[in-house]
Amino acid sequence: MDRTEGTTINRRRFLQALGAVGVAVACGPAGPTGASPAPSAGASATTAAAKPVSLEWWRRNYTAGTQNAETLTSDGAVRAFREKNPNVTISIQGGPFGAETDQKFDLAILQQKAGPDVFHTTGGDVIKYAAAGQLSEPPLTAAEKADFNTSALTATTYKGKVVAYPLWIVPWFEYINLDLFKERGVTPPADGNWTYDQFLDAAKKLTFKRADGKQIYGFAHANDEWAFMLIDGGRLYDADVKKWTFNSAEAISGLEKWVNIAKEKVMPPDFLTLNPNDSQAKFIAGEIAILQRPSAMINVLNADAKWKYGTNWEIANFPKGATAQTAWGGLGFIAVREQADADKKTAAHAFAKYLTGPDIGPDLKKMTPPVEYWLAPAARTSAAGIYGEYHAAKAKVAKMGSFTYVLPNVSTWTEIQKYLGPARDAALEGKKTAKQALDEVAPNAQRLLDEANK
Amino acid sequence: MRAALRRYGWSYLFVLPTFSLFVVFTLLPVVQAFGLSLQNARIVGGEWIGLQNFVTLAEDPVFRQALGNTVLYSLVVVAAQLTLALVVASLIQPLGRKSQTFYRALFYLPLVNSAILVAMVWRWIFNANPYGLANTVLGAVGFDPLLWIGSSDQALAAVILSAVLTIPGGGVVLYSAAMGSLPRELYEAAEVEGAGALTKWWYITIPLLKPTTLYLLVIYTILAFQVFERVYVMTNGGGPNNATITIVQLVYSTAFQFGRYGLASAMAVVLFIMAVAVAVVQFRSLRSDVEY
Repeated sequence: MDRTEGTTINRRRFLQALGAVGVAVACGPAGPTGASPAPSAGASATTAAAKPVSLEWWRRNYTAGTQNAETLTSDGAVRAFREKNPNVTISIQGGPFGAETDQKFDLAILQQKAGPDVFHTTGGDVIKYAAAGQLSEPPLTAAEKADFNTSALTATTYKGKVVAYPLWIVPWFEYINLDLFKERGVTPPADGNWTYDQFLDAAKKLTFKRADGKQIYGFAHANDEWAFMLIDGGRLYDADVKKWTFNSAEAISGLEKWVNIAKEKVMPPDFLTLNPNDSQAKFIAGEIAILQRPSAMINVLNADAKWKYGTNWEIANFPKGATAQTAWGGLGFIAVREQADADKKTAAHAFAKYLTGPDIGPDLKKMTPPVEYWLAPAARTSAAGIYGEYHAAKAKVAKMGSFTYVLPNVSTWTEIQKYLGPARDAALEGKKTAKQALDEVAPNAQRLLDEANK
Repeated sequence: MRAALRRYGWSYLFVLPTFSLFVVFTLLPVVQAFGLSLQNARIVGGEWIGLQNFVTLAEDPVFRQALGNTVLYSLVVVAAQLTLALVVASLIQPLGRKSQTFYRALFYLPLVNSAILVAMVWRWIFNANPYGLANTVLGAVGFDPLLWIGSSDQALAAVILSAVLTIPGGGVVLYSAAMGSLPRELYEAAEVEGAGALTKWWYITIPLLKPTTLYLLVIYTILAFQVFERVYVMTNGGGPNNATITIVQLVYSTAFQFGRYGLASAMAVVLFIMAVAVAVVQFRSLRSDVEY
C-alpha cells in the first residue's frame, strides 16, 4: 500500500516535472527573452507599476537567436527597459512579414480579443484595430503630442483620438553604385539632389553591356513602388483622406514620367515582377546602378564588407519633378491592446512609450556591443537625432523627413492596390495611357476609400 | 434492414475514424464556406447579405480575369497532361518488366519534390533576363530573348508551359498499370486482321482506357482549377497586369490579405460549382460500360 502510494506520488511528480519542462521548452523561443539580465538591485521602477507584471510583445520578423535587425533591437530594447523596470517581464513573439503573420494578429486581436499586450504594426492595421475598439489610447501629454511628427500623429488618429504611438518614418530614396557611376563617367548628384531629367540621363548612361557580355541597368525598383507618381504633386487622397486623387493631372504626369523610364529600357526586363529582395540582390550583385529602396537597406550594405559607404555606394534623394522635392514614406507604430488588466495596461503603455521615446536610442547605444535601435528616423523629434549619429548615410536620411509624403492610414489600402497595381503595369507596358489606367482605377479605389472611412 | 444492420453494423466502426475526419476537416468547412459566401464575413463576424457577394464578383474585373485565366490554364494543361501521360505510358508499355518499373519510378519521382521548389526552378527557367535558361536556349539557337513571366502577354503562357512540360508522373503510372491489364486476345485478333501498332493503339488501347482517362480527367481538372503555388511563386501572385491571376490566388489574397472571408468563400463556391459542373459533364460524356 505504502509502496503503491509512493509510486503514485513519484509518477505524479515525474509527470509534473515533465510538464514543466514541456512548457518551458514550448515557451522557449517566445518566453521571457533570454537576453534579459536579472534585474539589478539598484534598478528603479520609474514608469511601470511596481507589482510583477508580464507582458507579451509581438514583433514582426523577430526570430530568437538570430542576428537580424528586428531581433537584435528587440532583445536590446527589452533588456534596457527591464533594467529600469525590473518588475516587468517581457516575452517577444515573432513571425515573418506577410499575410500569414497579419492573419495571426487579426485572429488574436480582433477575434479572440487576446494575444499581444504591446505590438508593432503598420499602416491600415492601426485604424482597423482602433475601429474594433481593440487599442488602448496612449496617455500622451500635450507636450508629448507636440513632440511627434504631425503627419505621423495624424496617421494614427482615429475619430479624433490618438490610438497608437508613432514609431518611425521609413523613407524611400535612391541607392547609388558609385563604382558604376565612375566606370561610365557619370557624376553622382551633388548633395544627393537631381531633377527627373538629370536622373533619367544618368540612368541611360548607366545602362550598358560590358565586354564580357554582362548587362548593367541604370535603374531598378521593386514591384511595390508608387513613388514616381508623387513627383509632379500627385497624392493618393485629398487632405481629408475622403477623396481618391491618384488620377489627378499631377499623378498622371508622374506616371507618364515613370512610363518614360520604362520606354527608355533602363530597367531590367523583369522589372514588373521584381520583388524587393530580388531587386536588392541585383544591386548588391553590381547589376544595377541606381536602386529605389527604403532606409533598411543601409544596414544590409553596411554589413557587407565589400560595400564601403562613400567609396562604393551613396544615397540620393528621389528625383525632383515639377513640384518641390518629395519622397515616399511609410510609418511604423507601437500599439497597446485594450484589456481589463489595469496593471498590464499601465506597464504596456510605459513600454510602448519607451520603445518610441528619446531614451531608448542612447540606452541601446551604451550596450556592449552597441545596438542601433532606430532602423528608420524616429517619428518623435526628441528621439530623431540619434538615427543620424549611427551612420553618415543615415544622417542624410534623417533630413528627408521634412519632404517625405507619409502614406495616410487607410485600412483598405492593400485592397486598393489590387486595382492600382495592374493599372500601373498596363501603363508601364504601354497597353494603356497613364490617364486611362488611373481613371479606370478611380471608381474602385474611391469605393474602398469610402468603405475605410465608414 | 434490421437483420443487415445487425449483421454488418459493426463494420461501420472501421469506417468511423476516417469518416469523422472527413466530416470535421472537409465536409464541415465546405458547408461553412457556403454559409460564409452569403455573409459579409470579416474576421470579427459578418452580416447576412444574400447573394451580394456573387453580384460583387460578377462586377469585379479582377475576378473575371482570374476566372478566364483559370479556365484557359485548365483547358490547355489538362489536355496536354492527359496526352503526355498516355503517350509516355504507351512508350513504356512494350519494354521489359524491369525497364517498365524503372521508367514508372523515374517519371513518378519528381512528384515527391516540393511544389514550391519546382515553381522556383521554373521561375528561373522563364526569367526575363538573358541568363534565364529558356532565353539562354533561345539565344543558342539564334533567337532573341523573350520576356516570359516579365510580360503580361507571355506570363500566362510561361506558367502553362511550365505545367505542360512537367510530365504527369501519376498519370503515367496509372495508364501504365491499366495498359498492363488490357486483354491480350483483342490485340491478337487485331494482328490477325493485319492491324498495325498505331491502329491497335487508337482502336483498342485508347477506348479500353476510358475509365482511367475519365478518372485522370476529373482529377487533373480539379487540380488545374486549384492552381496556386505555381502562380504565386513564378509570378509573385498574379504577374504583370494580373496576367496570371487565378481564382485560388484571388481567394488567398481576398481572405488573408484583405480580410474578406465572405467574398473569398463566394469565390470558392464558384470554383466548387465549376468543378462539379465540369465533372458531371466529363462523367456523362466519358462514362463507359466497358469491362475487360
